[in-house]
Amino acid sequence: MIKIEQEAWDLMVAHARKTYPNECCGAMLGPIDGGTKTVRVALPLENAYPGAQRERYELRPEDLLYAEREARKNGMDLIGIFHSHPDCDAYFSKTDLENSCPWYSFVVLSIQKGQFHHANSWLPNMEQTEAAQEELEHPNA
Amino acid sequence: MPKILIPTPLRQFADKRDTVEVSGATVGEALAALTTAHPDMKKNLFNDEGKLRSFVNVYLNDEDIRFLEKDKTAVGAGDTISIVPSIAGGR
Repeated sequence: MIKIEQEAWDLMVAHARKTYPNECCGAMLGPIDGGTKTVRVALPLENAYPGAQRERYELRPEDLLYAEREARKNGMDLIGIFHSHPDCDAYFSKTDLENSCPWYSFVVLSIQKGQFHHANSWLPNMEQTEAAQEELEHPNA
Repeated sequence: MPKILIPTPLRQFADKRDTVEVSGATVGEALAALTTAHPDMKKNLFNDEGKLRSFVNVYLNDEDIRFLEKDKTAVGAGDTISIVPSIAGGR
């Protein structure tokens, strides 16, 4: 399961609301203890998708390298990636799946009319053909 | 020897180490040394045709090897190889 702490959560929601009606993205850092991942730090990153960002996001590998380095520097792990779905549900779309990486948790925040609505976490498989829903705990749950 | 930084989820396939030192004169040789020493790492990095998976980028220090000499990029003793995923999506 994945648990998101208050400070990190506030930053994730604020980033998603600020970028609305476009999609936002970022990295989640924290410790992994057995089957529990605890997100202590959220790193908002720039959506680098060159087209319509209302429907797409893209992370620069350089930004992920930075996130990985930040995690190492602070004795934490890169747990996963978050992004928002403006005015639609927090499902894991075909586009999300085909451009995912099976090593990480993917938290999707549904932002409806500029406000947080709900969130889900997903774990894609190696072939990027399906994603299992992961138990998610966050302060607004 | 060059070192390879192992992303958190893959450390379980590398004796839980976050960094692995490998031999090799090129990035390709270094990655081959990594997967020879830690065979379970291979399916995470390479597809059945032996090519890097679509979501895997490899950096030598701060440079993406696609913009260098790809897997033929030379590596030296002080170099660091990072494995960085490609991630995108959309509703």
